[in-house]
Amino acid sequence: MNKDRSISSEWIERAAKASGWEAALTRRGFLKLSGCALAGLAFLNLGEAYGENAPLVILDSAQGVILADPTRCVACGRCELACTEYNDGRAQPSLARIKIARAVNFGLAGPTGGEAMHGDWGDGLVVQGVCRQCPHPVPCATACPQNAIIADPQTGARVVDAAQCLGCRLCQQACPWGMIAFDEQAGVAAKCTLCHGRPKCVEACPAAALRYVPWRDLSRDGSPTRPTLSVVPPETAKACLDCHVTAGTKSAKEP
Amino acid sequence: MAVSSGGFVGKVLRVDLSTGKITTENTRERYAALLGGAGIGYRVLWDEVPAGTGPFDAANKLVFATGPLVGTSVPCNGRATITTLFPTCWPKPLVGSGHMGGHFAAKLKYAGYDALIVEGKADKPVWLMIRNARVEIRDARHLWGSGIRRTTLAISQELGPDCVVAAIGQAGENLAPMGMVINSVSHSAGGVGGVMGGKNLKAVAVQGSGAVRIAGDKAAWEALVKFHLSILGANNQHVVPSFPTPQAEYYNPASRWVGQPGKRWGAAKPPVELAGNIHDPNSIAFRTNSAVYFLGDEAWKYTVRGNGCTACPIRCHTMLKMPSVTAKYGIPDMGQNTCVALMFGRSFFKQLAGKKNNEAAMEACMVGMHLADDLGLWSNYGQLQRDLRKLYEGGYLKAKLGSKEYASIPWDKYDSADPAFLLDLIPRIANRQGELGDVLSRGTGAIFDHWSIPESAWAKDHTTTYWKMGHPKHHANEDDGQCGVIINTQYNRDAQCHSHTNFVRNGLPLEVQKKLAAAIWGSPDALDAPGDYTPANVHKAQRAKWSLLRKELHDALGVCNWMGPWAASPLRERGYAGDDSLESKFLSLATGQTMDREELDRVAERIFTLHRALTIRDMGRVDMRAAHDIVPPWVFEDPSGKAALTKGTIRMDPADIAKAMDYFYEAMGWDKATGAPSQARYAELGLADVGETLAAAKLTPEAAK
Ligand code: SF4
Ligand code: SF4
Ligand code: SF4
Repeated sequence: MNKDRSISSEWIERAAKASGWEAALTRRGFLKLSGCALAGLAFLNLGEAYGENAPLVILDSAQGVILADPTRCVACGRCELACTEYNDGRAQPSLARIKIARAVNFGLAGPTGGEAMHGDWGDGLVVQGVCRQCPHPVPCATACPQNAIIADPQTGARVVDAAQCLGCRLCQQACPWGMIAFDEQAGVAAKCTLCHGRPKCVEACPAAALRYVPWRDLSRDGSPTRPTLSVVPPETAKACLDCHVTAGTKSAKEP
Repeated sequence: MAVSSGGFVGKVLRVDLSTGKITTENTRERYAALLGGAGIGYRVLWDEVPAGTGPFDAANKLVFATGPLVGTSVPCNGRATITTLFPTCWPKPLVGSGHMGGHFAAKLKYAGYDALIVEGKADKPVWLMIRNARVEIRDARHLWGSGIRRTTLAISQELGPDCVVAAIGQAGENLAPMGMVINSVSHSAGGVGGVMGGKNLKAVAVQGSGAVRIAGDKAAWEALVKFHLSILGANNQHVVPSFPTPQAEYYNPASRWVGQPGKRWGAAKPPVELAGNIHDPNSIAFRTNSAVYFLGDEAWKYTVRGNGCTACPIRCHTMLKMPSVTAKYGIPDMGQNTCVALMFGRSFFKQLAGKKNNEAAMEACMVGMHLADDLGLWSNYGQLQRDLRKLYEGGYLKAKLGSKEYASIPWDKYDSADPAFLLDLIPRIANRQGELGDVLSRGTGAIFDHWSIPESAWAKDHTTTYWKMGHPKHHANEDDGQCGVIINTQYNRDAQCHSHTNFVRNGLPLEVQKKLAAAIWGSPDALDAPGDYTPANVHKAQRAKWSLLRKELHDALGVCNWMGPWAASPLRERGYAGDDSLESKFLSLATGQTMDREELDRVAERIFTLHRALTIRDMGRVDMRAAHDIVPPWVFEDPSGKAALTKGTIRMDPADIAKAMDYFYEAMGWDKATGAPSQARYAELGLADVGETLAAAKLTPEAAK
């Protein structure tokens, strides 16, 4: 693990004390001491104390999230194109961090035929795929053996640190909503960054089907396409155990 | 291999169905001078398909071409042009193109191909699978006989839900010249379905995950796209709303900008109300509702949403849900399309054609769309419907059709304007069943040939709107006087040009239009108000030339000529000016190679001139003016006897049109007597080889002398 990115719990504790919980704590997640984070930090202290170099699994919640209204979506794909053209300089829906193309024809259930089929060939409904900027435990970040998925200091969006990403695609496997794209050209994962708080996709939608709203937990809405946290690398699993102590037992490291 | 810097994805895919050979060639090396679209198509036909080839011969080729802007976020891209020997062109098939939007073009680019050339003929039904670099010819015997919906479903099950399938239905399988190919539910290219059927090609299905690179600066690109969005109007670039509102200085009831605050997509669950600022870029998709524009205000309540091509915010293929049709006609309650294809069913009936806010008319539209877009039957811009009406009402069918067949057709349903009539008629045509079905499936020319009806019976009757060569007018003198007439003389099918009408019908007051016209075409006299025409002049001819070149340019770039050019805008602060250099700005940024408006118009002129050359070569004659650039007699008449070029009539004057043609040929640099380019003119446009070949065949004006 990258040493720079693994700061000891002692340091965090000291910093937290010195700052009276008010300053932003710099670690890979750039934890901000919002109300949410305070709760998170309580866990963090424990987690870090016991986990030694175990990766941080708790990220503060994002500030905002993209909210999509399928009943307004006209299946134009302009959001996908804005996402990749304006961010990456190429038009490539497969790289988009918002997902339309996969739902346009038949909806997410695919070409099943029958009454319940969505999309252009069905009842017309196109359910946009958006990143939930998941709360703890963030499935994609938790799955990453490199800790390459971190919270953006500005927006709290869960972003891929391309310098750390090895291209193993475990995050792609882990996201229950299939929201991780893969940049074949760069060989790294790509996910929604919330565009530094000015989402290009929202701006591009000609039907006002997308809105950027204060974060709320959408990770419990709807049915995920795969079980949450399907992939947890061993190091991360160890850190989980630090917090989620088995009933009636004590963590071996607890003083 | 040359590096593809941007816009182009680099390769043209070539599939020989006779041998199964699949190859690629470098787009820029071979076709850079012609950009894309019909430019590539015409070049392939010129180089590879000899004069005298028939549309259903294995030697005919089908060129599906996109353009360098396809697949990007440039508003209104997503078009594919399919060029081939056009089977409905009469009396002899000549070069022509079908055009389709939907998602096919963009997918082909993401798969890595700027164009697809299909040649030869498979020995059994096949479909073509394209998944990025993987291309396979697959067995389609199990699909033969299926409609387009089932075919799409079955292929999507095999290839994956995100593929785009361009398929033919029964009409194409039966080699009907009136067959069409459809992708994405309703996006059709007329006339080419039978050519696919002739090659035993049921469908082309594409899946692509690649990118179209933007070579220029990202931020500049984003800014240009946003600027383009700001000058967009509604469908056909109508730039003022159809309703009065404090938000706009002007309105025009004839505008296609019908999305008035307070209206709603009534069949959405729950309904979506239109509200707020009509100029807001985040509400562009609510401006256009083709169903409301064509079928009347009642259509709001059946509207589920707008739909359309990749990246287009206009969404002109309105999606409708009309539950009554399921019980009455046994068809699905969902339907979507635009314009003539939306009105496919209604237009057959005398009582329903053009009727708005009429339940039976709407139901007829639902039945018509359902059948035509599944069987893959084209309307030839509504000529099919007008033909049937004239044949029936004019007593031709009673006289010419065998009595047994005549009696087998439910004319009582027709007489009572019962949409159920279509359940009999449309499959009859698509399956080429009986004499009526077969003749109508071959297009208007077959009516003349088969029943020995003189073409003049159609060409003299303005109600047919028949123009020439088996095809009708398409935005001619009813919209744009001499300019419209010139444009309608040029193609071998109905002129698919909208550059002129999109300006004339943009909804702005005439004074404003004239001001803009002066800036672009050098004189306010470059246009008149529809139905109030002044004599021909050079500026009108210049505008006709501009219109034709922009049409070819749009096809070559892959942007929609039903929306472009963007010569006007809804922006008061710009004096309602659009931007006539938009196409060149986009292309320059996309490819990273600067090309100004004049240069790009020259490319368009090269493409258009190549179309002329192919027409001359395949007709085997140079006197285009007399033999090809024909104006039907009805144009020179007025049903109420009004004099030509007076207010309130679209009647044109023969001597004035002759003058207009003179001006046009001059503007093109063509010989006035023949209407053909000289060898030198070909050379000036970078078509020296074409000029040489034609001169050697005595098909240039000077060589023919
Ligand atoms: S798991 Fe998926 S939805 Fe959740 S933050 Fe990661 S990419 Fe977004
Ligand atoms: S917010 Fe930005 S990164 Fe996220 S999907 Fe939208 S455009 Fe893409
Ligand atoms: S831009 Fe809006 S309308 Fe278009 S696909 Fe995306 S969410 Fe749907």
